Amino acid sequence: MNVASRLPNSPAALAERPLQSDKPPFLGFGLGLRAQHYDEILGGSPPIDWFEVISENYMLPGGQPLRVLDRICERYPVVMHGVSLSIASTAPPNFEYLQGLKDLARRVEPKWISDHLCWTGVHGKNLHDLLPIPYTSEALDHVVSRVQLVQDFLGRAIVLENVSTYVQFNNSEMTEWEFLAELSRRSGCWLLFDINNVYVSAFNHGYDPMTFLDGIPADRVVQFHMAGHSHMGTHIIDTHDHPVCEDVWDLYVAAIKRFGRVSTMIERDDNIPPLDELLVEVNRTREIAERVLPPLGKNLGKQAG
Amino acid sequence: MSDFARQQADFQRGILTGDDTVLAEILDSPREKRETLYGVYRYAYGSRLVEALRNDHGLLHSYLGDETFDEMGHAYVKARPSEDPNLRWFSQGLPEFLRSAEPYCNHPILADLAALEKALNDAFDAAEGPVLELTAMASFAPEQWNDLKFQPHPSAARLDLSTNASAVWMALKNDETPPDAATLEEPSRILVWRQDTTPMFRELPPEEAMMWDEAANGIPFGVLCEMLATYDDPDGAAARGAGYLHGWITSGNLTAVSTSVSR
Repeated sequence: MNVASRLPNSPAALAERPLQSDKPPFLGFGLGLRAQHYDEILGGSPPIDWFEVISENYMLPGGQPLRVLDRICERYPVVMHGVSLSIASTAPPNFEYLQGLKDLARRVEPKWISDHLCWTGVHGKNLHDLLPIPYTSEALDHVVSRVQLVQDFLGRAIVLENVSTYVQFNNSEMTEWEFLAELSRRSGCWLLFDINNVYVSAFNHGYDPMTFLDGIPADRVVQFHMAGHSHMGTHIIDTHDHPVCEDVWDLYVAAIKRFGRVSTMIERDDNIPPLDELLVEVNRTREIAERVLPPLGKNLGKQAG
Repeated sequence: MSDFARQQADFQRGILTGDDTVLAEILDSPREKRETLYGVYRYAYGSRLVEALRNDHGLLHSYLGDETFDEMGHAYVKARPSEDPNLRWFSQGLPEFLRSAEPYCNHPILADLAALEKALNDAFDAAEGPVLELTAMASFAPEQWNDLKFQPHPSAARLDLSTNASAVWMALKNDETPPDAATLEEPSRILVWRQDTTPMFRELPPEEAMMWDEAANGIPFGVLCEMLATYDDPDGAAARGAGYLHGWITSGNLTAVSTSVSR
């Protein structure tokens, strides 16, 4: 049973007003855009269905990054993925940041805007990390109201990602997946399901990743992240500097079976290899999905014709 | 303060100062103690920010070497915690830190090298603006020239260096052994700008630097030439002014020219 559903409705919950918006489209199989690959992408038009860009890397006055981004947007569908929204912070909302995000969105016209269920700092400081929260009703009310504020400001539903965590708080009242499910239900935000992060957090906290997967409402997930990590023996650190490991590929198969056709991408942030190496992983996400899922309508049409 | 806010304050203080209060609210995992798990966040904080400094100041990193740069970087992280959501701006205070903090302030080459790298980084992603073409100058009648005012390109910036940092920068950029650090008798006057997508810099003669600074302040061409006349041969002042102006335009340093309405 969902613990959160048994919680009494707080004033914030009573005022909930999920932003109604159409579910973002299925984009296919994509990659995180990184500066190391700019020339190869613009010079070769590689077979990548879409790109995810780190919002903050383009929240700049001008110059080459924005010029490249404009050219990428002419050729590929793009989604914006931020790291500094700090949606769960108890600090006052940063409207200057939100305006910068909104301005970039006006330029990019992204298919959606995502960030993480986390906080990055309080008291005017920014730690530039995706910090964990306790899964309490107080935190849930707070994040729901923040998501509503951000969605109102941006004029669209946002997408939030589960982060890798290394600690759990002793005052949590529900599981992470219960928190995410309630957050999405009450605020109307969509979910970015990071399969590697589920694997990392499940190992670090000693639960079955399948329990997490089964606890997420299937109709709220609009994107998958696939990434690598660093195993330290007693815990795993989400470093995004390795290829996707076989255990995470297995979890991807299970995720496809549960969530169906979901826009999927390879996320590499460090130790970045040549584009060809990442294309192998992008192709694998596609091949697995095509093997596991029933063919799309257009494929059926081709077979019939 | 709510319990959630109090807990975030404790969590952040534990990372920034080493205070262990928040550990009382964190669980051991099945395989690891809470101190080690929370330590992942403590370690990541410093290392991520120092990495950002390395990315922004690659040549200062080459100059100092891994160990000294990291020591300096952690001192900066401690002295100037990030206050901007965008990591791009974290290193902005580094030249000032190196100019004022022991022991780095005893080696002014470090602050100058950081200032030059910062200026180039800032030119790289500065705002866009039109680049003034020489053909635009042809539209002005000779009698209008005294009233011409110039607008620098948004990427253009001036800085004065008290050391031979530009020579050190050039050597490091070319993977050569840098010259010994030296304090100059006269400051080195540097103009930084972006040409297409590439940040550039060049050293200006004192006279040209004076004219640039005054032009950027909105002083019209006629007055600029009068100022040049006090620097060197008065008869050649207008020709020298026109020569500097030609250089600025062909280098893409200016974004607009207009005639001043009144003086």
